[in-house]
Amino acid sequence: MVRGLLRRAILPLAALAAAISVGAHGDAPDRWWSPGDGRVFPERLDYSNGDGTLRLLLTGGALDTKGHPFFEPIGANGRACVTCHQPADSMSLSADTARERWQATGGKDPLFAASDGSNCPVLPQDERASHSLLLDRGLIRIQRPWPIKEWNGKPVTPDFAIEVMRDPNGCNSGPKYGPAAGNISVYRRPRPIANMKYLLAVGFPYDPKQGYALPRDPETGTILSGNLMADGRMGTLKQQMNEARDAHLQMLDKLSDPQIERIETFIRSLYAAQQISTKGGDLDAMGAKGGPAKLRDSEPGALGSIGEPVWSEYHAWDKISPQDAKTLTPQQLAFRQSVARGVHVFRDKTFLITDSAGINSRVGFGNPVRNSCVFCHNMTQMGNDVAPGQVDLGTTTLPFADPMPDLPLFRITCLKVPHPHYGRVFYTMDPGFALTTGRCADAGKITLQSLRGLSARAPYFSNGLAKDLRGVVNYYERRYNIGYTEQEKQDLVNLMSVL
Amino acid sequence: MKRIAALTMLAAPLTAQAQDTGNLVRFVSCPTYRDADSGRKSGCWLADDPVTGRRWDVSLSPYKPDWNFAILVEGRVGAAGPEACGAPVLSPVRTSRLLDRPCTRHMLPAEGFPGRRYKLSGRYIDPISVARAVPQGPYNERTFPVYFEFDNDFLIYQYDDYLLDKADTWLKAAKPKKVVVTGYAATLPETVSGLRLAERPEVARERAEMVGESLRRLIPGLAVDIRTRTAAQPTDDPEADGIPGQSQRRVEIRALF
Repeated sequence: MVRGLLRRAILPLAALAAAISVGAHGDAPDRWWSPGDGRVFPERLDYSNGDGTLRLLLTGGALDTKGHPFFEPIGANGRACVTCHQPADSMSLSADTARERWQATGGKDPLFAASDGSNCPVLPQDERASHSLLLDRGLIRIQRPWPIKEWNGKPVTPDFAIEVMRDPNGCNSGPKYGPAAGNISVYRRPRPIANMKYLLAVGFPYDPKQGYALPRDPETGTILSGNLMADGRMGTLKQQMNEARDAHLQMLDKLSDPQIERIETFIRSLYAAQQISTKGGDLDAMGAKGGPAKLRDSEPGALGSIGEPVWSEYHAWDKISPQDAKTLTPQQLAFRQSVARGVHVFRDKTFLITDSAGINSRVGFGNPVRNSCVFCHNMTQMGNDVAPGQVDLGTTTLPFADPMPDLPLFRITCLKVPHPHYGRVFYTMDPGFALTTGRCADAGKITLQSLRGLSARAPYFSNGLAKDLRGVVNYYERRYNIGYTEQEKQDLVNLMSVL
Repeated sequence: MKRIAALTMLAAPLTAQAQDTGNLVRFVSCPTYRDADSGRKSGCWLADDPVTGRRWDVSLSPYKPDWNFAILVEGRVGAAGPEACGAPVLSPVRTSRLLDRPCTRHMLPAEGFPGRRYKLSGRYIDPISVARAVPQGPYNERTFPVYFEFDNDFLIYQYDDYLLDKADTWLKAAKPKKVVVTGYAATLPETVSGLRLAERPEVARERAEMVGESLRRLIPGLAVDIRTRTAAQPTDDPEADGIPGQSQRRVEIRALF
């Protein structure tokens, strides 16, 4: 008893002073946060990754996670929120981490729960192949109701029909799964939950992509950003938590209001970004403002085109003085110059954006429209969309998506007007936003997310289509025929590696 | 050299354009995209009137074409020549996408034309963080219009958000007893470029519901009555820019005390 009291008293004090750094990639057990670890989450926490070091900053002081609902296994399956929102992975979950966890536990970690950490519960759970989507692509199974329901259970009448063309995992057919059984399974990457004030920020009162004023939180009346969740099905953190309670934690009881408040306070206090580059050194050196401190200290929701331009954190590296250059290795200098060029490629290299719902329809920008990455990735400091970011890049929908035979394929038939770009009948591996709105025109739209902490959380896109940052650039090149030079591609990769 | 030749060829139509300035032009055709590149949003939209054979620069519409579908062009002959995009300019102009009339997509190279460098101007709104000036009273019955693309209920970016923002700001200050939101549809058929065009009667309700829902979101607790009118007639409201068809496709927000 006394030892317990002492421990509770001493740990937070020690943690307040400590800035914890976890070195080599994979050095368990510190890297992996198991539910119920009871560790202290310090004010500053560093983790290495393939491109350098990710830093997490927690405002408001170190947090004793013992008894904290984000970190405790409050559900029936032994998981906690932290299971899929790992600090070392910028509060997401990388496929590398999933594989390490499989290796370390022989697949017994609660992460691999049959309900959604396997390709489908009907598969033999002790076999790696049954968890291949999580292990190879970092994907969690998301089961959506069919016909569609709103967050409050209210039915939505879709203006499209859905048929299963391919069901490689068994979760879209049979007596319990699939549209005939009242559900649809799609597979998506866990989204990072750091830097939340930016994802919740509202820049303007209208959603130009949907053509409405923004909705409000039914409980608080606050205007909703529309930037939570890949398919936008939940507008508030509270709604998201309550859904995750059922879907991912298999929790029998409701989350209490104090539990929700503690989780929300924690994730609203957390900032994450790459702090050190293996090739370029400190990311806040020589006038640069990389790292999470800038995120913590800035106002969210600003549009880069009318204020501080997107990725101006690295403007100081546009012109590194000869004196400064002498203090760098040739590799560091070249890398920093590449990052600075990458900023300009990101912002200024325009290309024709075509047939992308949310950009080319219904909003009247035109099809095609010439613009750059920053057209959508327009929020200063974060690179998410200031407006609700539901856009169809084609990552999940044919003919633009890469072949992914391990994912289900659905045939969508629009029952009223045809889809403006795909026509009346088309094929998708994830209808995305349409599973929330019920609108055929929204099929394939996925909410843009933060571009911070990318090095810590491969693979990329909602379905893990790009296994690394080069894969992201290559996808855009294929999709929009941009014409990036090899140098520009590398500059973009280097930029994304330091965000 | 190529550009000079192009401009010379266009000199004769320019003279005709000067005589026509301000005239209303209305036709249906497939749009052509010219890939002029002066940075973001700088490309050109061109459309040929099938009856006169004249090509127009219709890039200044607040809602742009989709190269896969025909457009209803409504505009006035502007004073600007073909320097930017290679055709005389319609300004003001509207280009409504006719999604039931597919087109073969066609793109021209820049051919020396620069397009227009994008500049934020005209009807746009400030970020939510910028406090709106409170309109002065006294507040009496007043009507605010919101305009739409042909047969479409979508709130137009940098047009309708601007108009709604004005209404929202005034309504928050004026605190009317209720607002009546009336959706209009231009249902009386008209023949344009040999095609008989009329809006669906139901688009009147779709528009009214879209605006009504947006007002409920902007001003929680606001009492909103939804009404509809078909056979819409043109108005002379300046926010429709003197384009009769645009003024017909509207919603009116009427504040009652």
